[in-house]
Amino acid sequence: MTHSLHREGSMESLESEYVLFIYPARGFNYKGSAPKVRHNVELLYQAGPVNMIPTSLRRNMYSGVTNEEILDSITVEGTRVYSVFNSREKLKKSLLLLKEADEGISIMVSGVTDRVREIAAECGITPHMINLSLGIHGRTDRLAPADIREFTTMCGHGVVSPHLVKDMIRRVKTGKVSEWDGSVLLAEPCTCGIYNPCRSAELLREKAPLYTVDRW
Amino acid sequence: MIIRQDICVGCGRCQPYCPTAAIRFEGDKSMIDQDVCYECSTCLRAAHCPVDAIAESPNVYDYPRALRRYFSDPSATHAATGIQGRGTEESKTNDVTLRVKEGEVGVAIEIGRPTLGMSILDIQRITRAIARAGVHKIEAHNPIHSMIANEATGDLKPEMLGERVLSAIIEINVKRDQLRGILRTLKEVAKEVDSVFCVDACTIVGPNLKIPEEVLESIRAEGYTWRPNAKINMGMGRAWE
Repeated sequence: MTHSLHREGSMESLESEYVLFIYPARGFNYKGSAPKVRHNVELLYQAGPVNMIPTSLRRNMYSGVTNEEILDSITVEGTRVYSVFNSREKLKKSLLLLKEADEGISIMVSGVTDRVREIAAECGITPHMINLSLGIHGRTDRLAPADIREFTTMCGHGVVSPHLVKDMIRRVKTGKVSEWDGSVLLAEPCTCGIYNPCRSAELLREKAPLYTVDRW
Repeated sequence: MIIRQDICVGCGRCQPYCPTAAIRFEGDKSMIDQDVCYECSTCLRAAHCPVDAIAESPNVYDYPRALRRYFSDPSATHAATGIQGRGTEESKTNDVTLRVKEGEVGVAIEIGRPTLGMSILDIQRITRAIARAGVHKIEAHNPIHSMIANEATGDLKPEMLGERVLSAIIEINVKRDQLRGILRTLKEVAKEVDSVFCVDACTIVGPNLKIPEEVLESIRAEGYTWRPNAKINMGMGRAWE
């Protein structure tokens, strides 16, 4: 589970990205799913994701792996694919291509509901189910600050550490690393492949001036 | 995870990578607090130790410590379910499986998220509360199900209670008219746990992504709000097996 419905941030920032999953169902359409998933991934490449991981490889787009290696890894039945797009237009293009291909594998999209509703209508797609986030409960006082969670909630498994985000802000602020390179480093621990380095770079640009550093 | 003290050069590079801040200096070298470590292997996978001092703990797959690995490392295949991750396909394939049917709501309690983790003792507080609320069926394909000792009480296997995990998901299905009760229960148990959980509610939608008013009314009535962003099954799957 990728926690993608709990991504935090401003509306403007949340509206800038869409997470898309390709998900075969165990016992229902696993058998024979691998070539269909592979074809769907080929279509996603045409729309231009900013990150993607198949469960057959678990290496993101910035790890040095080639598109061909990603595609060639999709030989295992039941391989799932996690991807993220940084614009409404790219998501729409990908959904139109997937709809036309009609491979019969479940597709999930995480994003601002009103935008996804509009895009689905424009594509002639009828969504089946919504998974609503009803927020965080319990010892919320123990959480990292909200502006750090805008980064960490891009990784659903919680393995992008708040401490790493703070360290990257320090490294950006002190000129050790660019916003983009820092974001690629932040994306590395996330093995679900939906950490969005484009949004992360924007966030680093926005947050770095707000922080002071205690070491260079 | 461990850091081999004979190899570590004390650069500290690995320390910020740990989601739970389990790595710290001990003298002039980094060491991992074994009580705090979730065995998520993020340090090994992403920190790129310049001298390869980070290694698997020799006891990482010993029961019950192995729970830490299964629930905290996204790339680990869970022994109880045979799949990676700590949840199930849940809403992601509901267009094919119809696990959550018309008139039902799938409720997921995402434990320890974001990035805080939770002790299994606290997880038991939640499973007990759910059982007291009259829900005794936790999704069978979810690894939490294999941890339950007594479905009637929500008790987990006692030998597990000393462990902790970075995240886990409790998945249940309720009828729409039961949603208010379970949301109320979760609000109450939130006061008892020493960590956090996120609450999800999955429901089949009508044309143009219309969310059933009965579901929204239950959410409002219990003082919850829903985020503007959500996860949406686009209804493009079909079964053929």
